[in-house]
Amino acid sequence: MATVKVEEINLAALETQLDRICQGCDLYNSAGCKESQCLVGFARKVLSFAAQKKLLDIPGASKLLPTQDFKPYYPEQVAGAIAETCRQCRQCRDNHSPDCVIALVRSALESALLQETIDYPGSVFLYLARIKEQHPQLAALLARELQKGRT
Amino acid sequence: MNVGEGYFKQRNGLIAVDIMAACGVMTAEQWFGLGQAARENNVFRLKMTTRQTVVALVPEENVERLVAALEPLGLRVAPFGKVVRPVKACPGNEALCPRAIADALGLGIVIQEKYVGQGVPKDFKIAVAGCARGCTDPQCADFGVRASGQDRFDVFIGGRGGTVKPVHGIPIARKVTAEQVLGLLDFVLERYRNLAQPYERLCQTLARVGEGQFQPPAELLASPGEEASEFARFLQG
Repeated sequence: MATVKVEEINLAALETQLDRICQGCDLYNSAGCKESQCLVGFARKVLSFAAQKKLLDIPGASKLLPTQDFKPYYPEQVAGAIAETCRQCRQCRDNHSPDCVIALVRSALESALLQETIDYPGSVFLYLARIKEQHPQLAALLARELQKGRT
Repeated sequence: MNVGEGYFKQRNGLIAVDIMAACGVMTAEQWFGLGQAARENNVFRLKMTTRQTVVALVPEENVERLVAALEPLGLRVAPFGKVVRPVKACPGNEALCPRAIADALGLGIVIQEKYVGQGVPKDFKIAVAGCARGCTDPQCADFGVRASGQDRFDVFIGGRGGTVKPVHGIPIARKVTAEQVLGLLDFVLERYRNLAQPYERLCQTLARVGEGQFQPPAELLASPGEEASEFARFLQG
């Protein structure tokens, strides 16, 4: 559970990263682009809902993740956005909520790449360690992105 | 002096008068007025308590005069004994705490105004916190409230911070509104009054009769995922 306000989160930085993924998508700006059925579209909807409602936590939203999105996603394409969620993460640790806006975006992006969902430990360091167990290439890309600093 | 109010004879012969305000928040005028009344009545010391009240140590012959000075200041003697005690609330609101995610102070004051002094089988302590840091130790209160979002609170019951066997409260509701918190408090007090043995603290009642007896009915709990339903519509739109 986050104890910060949504205004303190850089939603625009997350949006920018999601835009980059969309621009590389074959369905981008086509009739086939359906946000509610797309993991990245879901993440974008989360951000705009959070901005409109000034919510940092959307109870129950994690259950609405479009897990039937089987479009191909690549680590290089998604790593920048996941890294941005790590930058924005307030490391709530024991107070982590899966319905936190940042967690929702991260979960959506993880689902695009990982076979199994990661039970987020509430800390970026521990998170990278868990990613490494499942997807060493993604962990390496994330580490590199995070070393670059803020976008 | 009324039975059940916070007057305590001290070993040195002074009377400790327990004075309550709006969950510990006072205006400068109230502090000034209290200080003036304390000086005029030879108050030996003023002590801030863990329940956010102020204890005045006053000679017995001056108690009535001191107490008479409280009402015009909007202050009063705190109830004591088998009653709902003054509410402990953190300063969590928009104006006072940068970490607050809901108006915990406002809710604490509303609860105190409505419930303080109500009779119960044993002392009943309430704590309200505006974020998960829980500065007022809501899980150590008989009825603890902890903000979990904008106008959303988690509710714990059966905590006890003291004794040689302290107990953490158990959650009975998540993400309910301030209005629902009041409904839950009515429910818990009603169950406690009906189920507790004399002088039994809520944690002991819970241990004896089981948590199920204090499980709130569905209508008192948050409608399942109000924001989620709205978000689901937004997602499809």
